[in-house]
Amino acid sequence: MATLQMATRAHPRLGSHVSRAVVVGFTLATAAIHASLGGMMFLANAVGYTTLALAMVAPGPIGQIRWLVRLALMGFTAMTIGGWLLFGARFPLAYLDKAIEVALIAVLAFELWRTDGGPIGVARKAQRLLGRLAGLRTARTPR
Amino acid sequence: MRLRGAASLFLTGSLLLGCNGSTGSAAPPPPAPVGGAVITAQNTTFDRGQLNVPAGRPFQLLFENREGAPHNVTIYDDGGQSLFVGETFGGPGSRTYEVPAIPAGSHKFRCDVHPQMSGTVTAG
Repeated sequence: MATLQMATRAHPRLGSHVSRAVVVGFTLATAAIHASLGGMMFLANAVGYTTLALAMVAPGPIGQIRWLVRLALMGFTAMTIGGWLLFGARFPLAYLDKAIEVALIAVLAFELWRTDGGPIGVARKAQRLLGRLAGLRTARTPR
Repeated sequence: MRLRGAASLFLTGSLLLGCNGSTGSAAPPPPAPVGGAVITAQNTTFDRGQLNVPAGRPFQLLFENREGAPHNVTIYDDGGQSLFVGETFGGPGSRTYEVPAIPAGSHKFRCDVHPQMSGTVTAG
């Protein structure tokens, strides 16, 4: 985390690339671990993580709502940790995976703070998005 | 674009890894330890849903995991309290669990990683 902060201060764009690469790396690592566990539930979890990792680097319209992808990835990771705390088996690979997931949430929180302006910035972005969606719906409604 | 291609390749590889963790062999299970029991896991399934074990004295449970996915065997009483928790490990490989004495009657067993892999232990 300290390295990320230093990189961000020195080269803002480089810092952004580094932190996103770390997020994608952690996400793909936990996806691979879940895929290796076998069973439909773990496979579905791996597909979810991989889809979100793709959304983290996808260009075009998804790039406009990257803050929402970060938020979704944070929520998905938190839910996975919660599910494990409630029902999960305790064995070495599971502990390693949870450590990766906790680190992933930490880096995502750092990105959210730096890139999206923290919770207030995210709330503003959400408000703008909802406003735009509501505007679209109004425009489409026949009079 | 290159990143997307690499990620797609990773997803395909991960899914294949997840699906092809088994060795695919249909060999018969190893012989049970004397006075104990044997069970095998393959394709995220136990080879039997019923284990007969002695009641009131320790016994050995030979567990053979025939696939890469990690599994274990845990025995629970009716109240959901664990009577014995076997080590979780990825295969192929086997462990001989030293199970302490469990009371006579019908109990449940399952894999803690995959709770749908379950069955009944009859101690008598």
